[in-house]
Amino acid sequence: MTGRGQVRFDDIVKMHGEFAALKGVTFEIQPGEFFALLGPSGSGKSTTLRILAGLDAPTSGRVFIDGQDITASDARDRDIAMVFQSYALYPHMTVYENIAFPLEMAKLPKPEIGPAVREAARKVAIEHLLERKPGQLSGGQQQRCALARAIVRKARLFLLDEPLSNLDAKLRLETRTELKKLQRSLGVTAVYVTHDQEEAMTLADRMAVFMAGEIQQVGRPAEIFARPNSIDVAAFIGSPPMNLIPARYSDGSVEIAGHRLATTLREGGERDVVVGIRPGAVRIAADGIPATVELVEDLGDTAILDLDCSGTFIRARVSDREIPRERAALSITARAKDIHLFDSTTRRRL
Amino acid sequence: MTPRRIRIIVVIAISLIFLLAWAFPIVWSVLNSLKNDRDVLAYPPKLIFAPTLEAYRDVLFGSASILPNLVSSFIISIGTTVITMLMAVPAAYALARLRFRGKKFAGFYVLATQMLPPVGIIIPYFLILRNIGWIDTYQGIILIYLSFSLPFAIWLLVSYFEDIPFEMEEAAYLDGASRLRTLWRIIIPQVRGGIAVTIVFVFLNAWNEFLFAVVLSGNTVRPVTVAMFNFVSVEQTLWAKLAAVSVLAMLPVIVLGIVAQKNIIKGLTVGAVKGGGRR
Repeated sequence: MTGRGQVRFDDIVKMHGEFAALKGVTFEIQPGEFFALLGPSGSGKSTTLRILAGLDAPTSGRVFIDGQDITASDARDRDIAMVFQSYALYPHMTVYENIAFPLEMAKLPKPEIGPAVREAARKVAIEHLLERKPGQLSGGQQQRCALARAIVRKARLFLLDEPLSNLDAKLRLETRTELKKLQRSLGVTAVYVTHDQEEAMTLADRMAVFMAGEIQQVGRPAEIFARPNSIDVAAFIGSPPMNLIPARYSDGSVEIAGHRLATTLREGGERDVVVGIRPGAVRIAADGIPATVELVEDLGDTAILDLDCSGTFIRARVSDREIPRERAALSITARAKDIHLFDSTTRRRL
Repeated sequence: MTPRRIRIIVVIAISLIFLLAWAFPIVWSVLNSLKNDRDVLAYPPKLIFAPTLEAYRDVLFGSASILPNLVSSFIISIGTTVITMLMAVPAAYALARLRFRGKKFAGFYVLATQMLPPVGIIIPYFLILRNIGWIDTYQGIILIYLSFSLPFAIWLLVSYFEDIPFEMEEAAYLDGASRLRTLWRIIIPQVRGGIAVTIVFVFLNAWNEFLFAVVLSGNTVRPVTVAMFNFVSVEQTLWAKLAAVSVLAMLPVIVLGIVAQKNIIKGLTVGAVKGGGRR
């Protein structure tokens, strides 16, 4: 790693009139990292990216890049490249001119521009389209053109604002893989905004989960998946989402639908909790919570079961070998280490 | 005849009526400009006659040549167009982009100036110009034309600027372009069509304006519209000459229209931005 592209957000607040879009956001991104800003729409992830890019100014707080306070500096002085959700290609210019534009603005000598443009185009496999206008390209090609324009300058930071959301499902998967490879090969720090948790999970080295203008959790995707630190993060990460069941905790176990499940928590006394169990962690067992199969969604290699446990609704993901019939009665359980416990008032992990 | 055939004939007939109504003034002007004075007044109108360029010769090189008036019209129209565009383009961009209190009202006010009947303000304009000594001067008449053309041009251009997504500009800033350079390299090329349309309209309005020209100028500054009126007098109207001047006066505007056409390419931005749009 070159050590370029280290980012620090220090207590950033952004107000839109009375509405707080960001309520004191603090995080750090390491050089060379692929960092995702994940959250539902309106959670503040895009605002965060725009503040980093210099397109919006924070109400308070400071932004540092490579240790330098850039809170007040202009977008064009930040040495940041960005891929917009809409691609924002310049329609009156050819693909070549689009990619060359940032180099021209950086006053690169003309003889160096041509090779640099072709190199960037080659990396995203659009060398054969250089003479076309954006309007003559397919959605995927436009997206590549936007990528090429962003990587051509070798900026210290590479920002991506939902770059895959306008592609169809198949192309999105392909591009996702390529994007990751591209970032690896360039060794550049990438900040990636998405509302798609699967995208964030697969692409990011680390990610920040945004909810209502605040960062709920920062960490490696696997870490956040395994130990979500609040009910909101637990509900947002994972598909199908985690089962969240209000229950009563006492002395190391919880009671769900009249059945006790052991937990890893070693704490005396009683309290109201919310129990989180991922659908994949629900097991069909001889002894457990009695359940009726309401609906079977067969996905081929696995199936999602909607279970009614005497009024409590639980979803389970089972392998193709154990798919029950609808209306069938069975009993389910989960291992202690697969049971997440959250405080029902603070909504934090216990 | 099949019903389909009848329908086609009806459609063609209706189209022809419209075409005739649209083409008649032009055809009438061109035909009359090629007639001699006797043929012009012949009744019923002659469709077959010996064409002559006499009227053209007279109005161009005769004693009452309109050449100086054409020059006069050019100075006024080009002056008005250039100054209008220099001011309207930045103004329209600002109006389209910047968010400020009362923006909606400002837009309406700009248009409201177009609703004023010219006759209602011609006396105040006359008094103002007389006080500053600009009656019958180029700067005076251009100033008056600006008061109409500028709001109109701004109003027309704003919608073109508004069609360009914000993200396009933001991308340019991040690519290292300044605001002015973004306007020049990214925005203006995309509103080229709108600018061409606006130029045509502003030029056309200035070129064909008569009322203000005849009241606020007339001796030193004498555009072709005012000069034409000389052919209409109490005793007689010189129809052939009037028609010839009309045809001549039409030519520059036609040329401008053809030149502008090349720039009026619609749908230039289509496909460049997906999903995005205005915030």
